[in-house]
Amino acid sequence: MSIKFSSDIPTDREVVLGILNNSVEALNKLYLAYFPMVLQFILNNSGNEDDAKDVYQEAIIVLYNKVRSGNFELSSKLKTYIYSVSRRIWLKKLAQQSKKTNNIADFEDVLAVDDNVELHEEKDMQFDKMKVALDSLGEPCKTIIQDFYIHNHSMQEICEKFGYTNTDNAKTQKYKCLQRLKKLFFQS
Amino acid sequence: MRNEIELEAIIEDYLKGKLTAEERVAFEQLRSNDPVVDHKVVAHKVFLDSMAQYAHVVKLKEQMDAVHSQIDVAALAENLRPHPSKLVKLWRNNRSAVAIAASFILLAMVSLYSIQSNNKQAGTFEAMSKDMARLRSTQNTLIRDIKTREANNNSNNNNNNARFGGTGFAISGNGYIVTNYHVVRGADSVYVQNSNGSYKAKSFYSDPVNDIAILKISDKRFESLPTLPYTIKRGTSGIGESVFTLGFPKDDIVLGDGYVSSRNGINGDTLAYQVAIPVNPGNSGGPLLDNSGNVVGIINGKENKTDGATFAVKSKYIMEALNAVPQDSLSRKVSYGKKSSLRGLKRNKQVQKMQDYVFMIKVYNNN
Repeated sequence: MSIKFSSDIPTDREVVLGILNNSVEALNKLYLAYFPMVLQFILNNSGNEDDAKDVYQEAIIVLYNKVRSGNFELSSKLKTYIYSVSRRIWLKKLAQQSKKTNNIADFEDVLAVDDNVELHEEKDMQFDKMKVALDSLGEPCKTIIQDFYIHNHSMQEICEKFGYTNTDNAKTQKYKCLQRLKKLFFQS
Repeated sequence: MRNEIELEAIIEDYLKGKLTAEERVAFEQLRSNDPVVDHKVVAHKVFLDSMAQYAHVVKLKEQMDAVHSQIDVAALAENLRPHPSKLVKLWRNNRSAVAIAASFILLAMVSLYSIQSNNKQAGTFEAMSKDMARLRSTQNTLIRDIKTREANNNSNNNNNNARFGGTGFAISGNGYIVTNYHVVRGADSVYVQNSNGSYKAKSFYSDPVNDIAILKISDKRFESLPTLPYTIKRGTSGIGESVFTLGFPKDDIVLGDGYVSSRNGINGDTLAYQVAIPVNPGNSGGPLLDNSGNVVGIINGKENKTDGATFAVKSKYIMEALNAVPQDSLSRKVSYGKKSSLRGLKRNKQVQKMQDYVFMIKVYNNN
């Protein structure tokens, strides 16, 4: 059943270094290298292409968090790690949908990665909380906050973009937005 | 308000490490003195961390989506999705056609089967001659061992063992006895026995089609019988008519009582009746009589799957067999369609009057 993947497969070391250096190129290579493997697994275990995309991206986020936290030891091949994490995430999703999870068709070796996945789930919850809070914040607050905290724009840039007469006004506006966002975030 | 905004900015700068060393010391002083400020710092740190994580994930997802859009997912999925076997593909493509064909076949088989089972009685015919050898091995506690008895009686004739047994009844005073053909088939010698004694007999006439045989007692010791008490019935018997039979499933005569349960025999055999009388091996060839003492048939077998489904050759064929015998050789022969002297008697009297005319048939076979 194993199918040759057309793209170049980066070495595991290359990938880890790339993650630590925030290298976009490394991410691209990594993403292209193992997506077919996860797609094959999901398709053969009652999932579709979109499920595969979601699961694979979650798995890569798990890998990133793990590498960035600094305690990532490459005890196995990266491929096996990604496969195991994807598998674990998909089995959890299947269980949530109360689908049968016996007779899982496997294509690779499997590692025990439960800890990693549980840690990821906590972070994922935080992510969702922040997403919900931001979404319910409304415009222009959402964009101001995103520009400042995510895209790291300066207050000067934001002031110009939104047409505030001076940065103090912009700062006041940002402060109000931030207070509302914090309220939403900590209350939810 | 103004102060709040300033404080917020300072906290943020403090967390981001943008404060100068002096500002930092001053702020930490403030923080340790004022729990409200301290709380704000902690909360803002949590918030900033979450925001940073959020920003990080969002960026990662954006990047991955960009890469993902380069992949031809549909083509890849086509290669990787599970490929069912050709048979399964065929089934998926032609599901309805296959289902219709299968139900037609099923329907045809069911109707064929039902037609067949309507026409056929499920059981098979089992001739009721008594196979001594088999009985000895299976039922020696119930059946007396004829072989040893015979061996003792005929000590000079040890090789001749009774292999089969049946029943027969007299059709004339001078020793003509009717029985089933299958009882005497292949016999080397035949003995008949009633309460008066055992006599040697020989086969005189046989009709394999109707399963009828006529024996003639050739033994000189045999004395002619008085007038036969029973007659042979002219017409056929209807369903429900009470009938009884006498036979030798063991060494003593046994009465079997029942009724005609069907006009035809096994598989619609018009030569025979079906009667509800329990019979056993050895009853073959026994007379089947109605309450008035008319012989309506000869017991010749039963269905081996159903209890109480016994078959009897119709009396009409007894007459046909009798007609094959030279009429002047029969003296005091059985009368046909007349009133029998058993009429109106109780069953025990009928049996008592009849039992001298019913013979046990013992067939010896050297093989």
